[in-house]
Amino acid sequence: MKRVSNEHFGQWVNASKKVRFTFEGNEINGLAGDSVASALIANNQWLQSRSFKYHRPRGPLTLCGHDANTLVQTPTTPNLLADHLPARDHLSVSAQNYTGSLYFDVSRILDWFGRFLPVGFYYKAFFKPRGIWAYWEPIVRKAAGLGVSNLEVEAPYNDKAYCFCDIAVVGGGPAGLNAALHAANAGATVALIEQEPHLGGSLNYHAFGYETPRIASTEISVETSADRSTENSVGPSKTGDAASTTDARDAFSAISAQRDALIRAVEAHPNIRVLRSATCNAWFTDHYLPVLQGTRLIKLRAKQTILATGSSEQHVVFRNNDLPGVVMCSALDRLTRLYGVIPSAPVAVLAGNDHAYRTALSSHDGGANVQAIIDLRDGCDDPALSREVERRGITIYQRCAVLEAASRATGKVLSELIVHRLDDNGNASEKIATLDCGVLAMSAGFMPAYQLACQAGAVLGYDDETAQFQLSKLPAGMHLAGSVDSIFSLAAVEASGRNAARQAMKNLDAELTTDEDENTTCTERVNHPWPFVKHPKGREFVDFDEDLQIKDILNATRMGYRDIQLVKRFSTVGMGPSQGRHSALPTARLVAKATERSVNETGVTTARPPLTPEPLGLLAGRRFHPLRRTPLHNRHLHLGAQMMPAGAWQRPAFYGTPEQRDAAIQAEVAAVRTGVGIIDVSTLGGIELRGPDAAEFMNRLYTFGFAKQPIGKTRYAVLTNELGVVADDGVAARIDEDHYYVTATTSGVDRVYRDMLKWNAQWRLDVDIANVTSAFSAVNVAGPKSRDVLASLGCDINLDADEFPYLAYREATLAGIPTRMMRVGFVGELGYELHVPSPYIGVLWDRLMEAGSEFKIRAFGVEAQRLLRLEKGHIIVGQDTDGMTQPNEVSLRWAIAKNKPFFVGAKSVEILSKAPLERKLVGFELGATSPQPKEGHLVIRDGDIVGAVTSCEYSPTLNKIIGLAYVHPADSASGAEVVIRTDNAVHVHAHVADTPFYDPDNARQGL
Amino acid sequence: MSEQLNNVFESPLSGKVYEGAISIQDYTNKQRWGFRGKDAAAALRAEGWKLPKAPNQIITVPGDTLIMALSQREFWFLDPSTDAPIPSDVDQAISEGMYPLFCQSSHAWLVVSGDQKSEMMAKLCGVDLSPDAFSVGDVAQTQMALINCIVARHELDGSDVFTILVDQSYAQYALEALLDARAEFCRSS
Amino acid sequence: MKIMNCPLNGPRNISEFVYGGQVKAMPDVNSVSDEAWANYVFYEQNDIGIVLEWWLHSPSSYWFIAERHNASDEIIRTYPADELFKERIDFTASEADA
Repeated sequence: MKRVSNEHFGQWVNASKKVRFTFEGNEINGLAGDSVASALIANNQWLQSRSFKYHRPRGPLTLCGHDANTLVQTPTTPNLLADHLPARDHLSVSAQNYTGSLYFDVSRILDWFGRFLPVGFYYKAFFKPRGIWAYWEPIVRKAAGLGVSNLEVEAPYNDKAYCFCDIAVVGGGPAGLNAALHAANAGATVALIEQEPHLGGSLNYHAFGYETPRIASTEISVETSADRSTENSVGPSKTGDAASTTDARDAFSAISAQRDALIRAVEAHPNIRVLRSATCNAWFTDHYLPVLQGTRLIKLRAKQTILATGSSEQHVVFRNNDLPGVVMCSALDRLTRLYGVIPSAPVAVLAGNDHAYRTALSSHDGGANVQAIIDLRDGCDDPALSREVERRGITIYQRCAVLEAASRATGKVLSELIVHRLDDNGNASEKIATLDCGVLAMSAGFMPAYQLACQAGAVLGYDDETAQFQLSKLPAGMHLAGSVDSIFSLAAVEASGRNAARQAMKNLDAELTTDEDENTTCTERVNHPWPFVKHPKGREFVDFDEDLQIKDILNATRMGYRDIQLVKRFSTVGMGPSQGRHSALPTARLVAKATERSVNETGVTTARPPLTPEPLGLLAGRRFHPLRRTPLHNRHLHLGAQMMPAGAWQRPAFYGTPEQRDAAIQAEVAAVRTGVGIIDVSTLGGIELRGPDAAEFMNRLYTFGFAKQPIGKTRYAVLTNELGVVADDGVAARIDEDHYYVTATTSGVDRVYRDMLKWNAQWRLDVDIANVTSAFSAVNVAGPKSRDVLASLGCDINLDADEFPYLAYREATLAGIPTRMMRVGFVGELGYELHVPSPYIGVLWDRLMEAGSEFKIRAFGVEAQRLLRLEKGHIIVGQDTDGMTQPNEVSLRWAIAKNKPFFVGAKSVEILSKAPLERKLVGFELGATSPQPKEGHLVIRDGDIVGAVTSCEYSPTLNKIIGLAYVHPADSASGAEVVIRTDNAVHVHAHVADTPFYDPDNARQGL
Repeated sequence: MSEQLNNVFESPLSGKVYEGAISIQDYTNKQRWGFRGKDAAAALRAEGWKLPKAPNQIITVPGDTLIMALSQREFWFLDPSTDAPIPSDVDQAISEGMYPLFCQSSHAWLVVSGDQKSEMMAKLCGVDLSPDAFSVGDVAQTQMALINCIVARHELDGSDVFTILVDQSYAQYALEALLDARAEFCRSS
Repeated sequence: MKIMNCPLNGPRNISEFVYGGQVKAMPDVNSVSDEAWANYVFYEQNDIGIVLEWWLHSPSSYWFIAERHNASDEIIRTYPADELFKERIDFTASEADA
């Protein structure tokens, strides 16, 4: 290999700036601007990886990140594409998927045994006898795996950001640049997404200078001086030998100058945001495009999308077409023109179209030793091209094919081509030549980069006559430009970009653009209809990722898989990292022929996001986990609380170290039962109902009667949904004739609030519904001494039981703060729930703790509260109920008013009440030393599951295990025995008990 | 007593200020109030208040009070220059058709300023908040970093700022998300 | 991500919205048969065509109505609920209860 660097060759590299990195431990010298792949090739290192299944040697195929042949890894990251990985100093790169070494891969033996690994072997082997897969799996995974994840690596800082624009243009080639500039000039905001680090696309590497009109106008082949000394030249030609080459050079210079001007205009335009080294990985509804750029996932939201995604060059299917050194024509163009790497070994070109001739001329201009063009066709469509090729002494083998590529010495890089003539049926006939060859560039055609369009619902059509593609049925607002729309000649490509911009502008605002569409007719035929050369010994690869050959696809069809989708799933064709970019078309052609259908009928497999493999870290982004804190959060931490999640909330589980857990909970329970405790219940939902219809609304939502509820009283409020299922519960305080304050469960309040709004959007009652969960924070001061604490703090109302009895609601000023006070009994002791505006709960807490210190007040957490309420047999909706629980099952019949016209669940509850109960929630008891059932443990009756435990705790107060469980209705009477299956299938016999377990007469809470 | 109570108004963010290329200030302890109901607009106008012309608009009235319309019948008043009132001074009396709101207690109030604040918000919020799409006087009831929020663009002391209102229980979470998004714009400071 | 147009807040990401089920007329609870009630509660329109749906814009807690084609997923129109629900609805006690 040699390097050149000038206006046309080596455009991306800086010859004066070297970089050094290592590959497989060997030092590699490259240039600034190189990709790892280009630097390796410049060092004659074509072999860069091993294939997935047969461990065959592989090298770059496309040089633009479109194949999986360059998958390498760095110490931190597996599965990087060497042709997209910038070469830089100190980088350490290694190959993947080999056993032993890249150069001598022990697993290469798999290739020789390939006939024992037929298509679909995954499904046929390794499953008999039963359990054998457990033995094979690690072996297969190791042999067929890709890179190795480094689990020690710290996750990089990945994030996401929205980007908004009128028009997204995907692809920064000639079509995309023209589309972006035209739209931006017309006033649209544009985001231009380019996968490579430089704008320009094919303008940077493709030899448009040899396009027909230009060559034809210069009458190339007539007067030639036959100067063949271009090997050392740095441009398309040396000092004006032939008029032809001089003109070609002028054409190239003119194209570069035009390109540079175009790129400058785009980059300087205030309306255009250019995203380089960025991959648009999908198209989602309403023009929502995920764009991967470095460590950021850009969530691009456009109003219109222009796809200027180009096309994927297609390979020719022949024996050993996967040898390192066999590349796409565009890859050789990229190698020479972008990186200035010029092969020293003889170069041959395998042509299915005229583009390949341009590659031959272009490489020749760069100084490569181009020996031959092997043309699958009867000849070049453009006679001027073939004349120029012949003028330069390059042999053209017409109607010939490479039957086999071979590697004589090393077995790891191309060295020889066997050329055969094609017969009338397109099969190889007699041998024509054996060519020494280091690089073979091939082009069987171009398939549109159809993935984004087809993800959006477009249909890819194929004309079996002309072998051309056409995308149709694009979604509204999507436009095509350039070769994705099967337009290939430069002038037409550029015009199609401007046309797409016009269409997009018209969709945005019909007023914006009035100029007419330009002509984009393109008659160039780029696709060869049958680029297959079958070899008796096989190894003609259709899919490089999955090591699939012609016979694998044919075998799949012979086994009855006619549908392309089934062929894909059975053979795994197209499932590799390159997602069928090169395998989809040959597979469709093979299946079409084998099943005697047209390619158009056979079609291609469904395109689904993502377009390229995406790092999970990018999808995760900043990993937002919203957490809610009560205003008392820091006070809990200062008291040593162990916090636990309750939905999004953080709540104190108990106060003390994890080792002190049980003792702490018991002490907290004891404080409430014998003295006084305080718990933060700010997470409790709160809903404010105000207006003339507040009582009517309550009456319709909740099961109880609320119309006659006295002011200053609370009532237990059960909410059933339309199915008659218990959906939530709380306490409703009537503050005034037209004013209710209703609590709801911590987890249920958002849903309850939404349901209320939705019902009233239909009923149109005169009531304002406000979710005041965050506006009010609350504590529950509970225990026999709770009244003393409040009295000691200073309260401006009479706290005596006669004046402020159980279940009453009062408004008072506590510690100077207006407080909503409710006498509640959730934990079964004298207690006050104190609700205040959230910013004042902190000072109220402090004052209560001060006032409570003489009564040994103790903060208690959720764990203690759960036990306290269980001792009282109070259910928690959502824990002791499920999505099927009807009121009768949980003994809430008493909470359902019988004489009111309507409540939401009324009709369903009525219907359900006619049928016998299928289960009932009851309390149960077990001795203190019994194995303790857990929530979810099953209740068994005559060998059948009849229910489950919903709550269970050891009660130190009662010195027994108590719980709630659904049991068979026949076993629901007090004293009945039920069987609970606990851990390790231990069955325990529990006795059904009346609830409350503690203080059955409810005397204490009414004190 | 009054003064003492005024000091006990606790913002979950303690009035913190983060200066830099993008600055974030906690305004939670500043005064705000609001009304909702079918008669709210008429009643407020009768009291002499000028109101925004449409929902999701914010205006500044003489005295520097900001008035935000969240619907045809819901109005929030934000006073960046006055501290939150003592609780006993808060009038929660109901008049039919016009109900006082609880925004002083329910929400935390953050003020974000700086040239690149729209770019920062684009990392957290799916609404285009750039000046062309979201100009002074615009309000968006939307989500940032997965939680509900209200974002308003208005002028404050002569500069163009965002007011962000979030449920007070999410205040710390929201602040941390904002600081994380802000970091790349404030590297040098 | 899909965009939905909220009648109050304008076009927003669909992630800001919560689906609220189809718009269904509740039968008269006093006269409806058990079976007809069960059909009302459990069944939704499932043939291909335009369906009427409840949607909530979560940040503003605003319920509205959407007309959506259930095959193409195209949202044809969104509008405030009061275009559909114009009058106050009242329930009367059944004769048996009265």
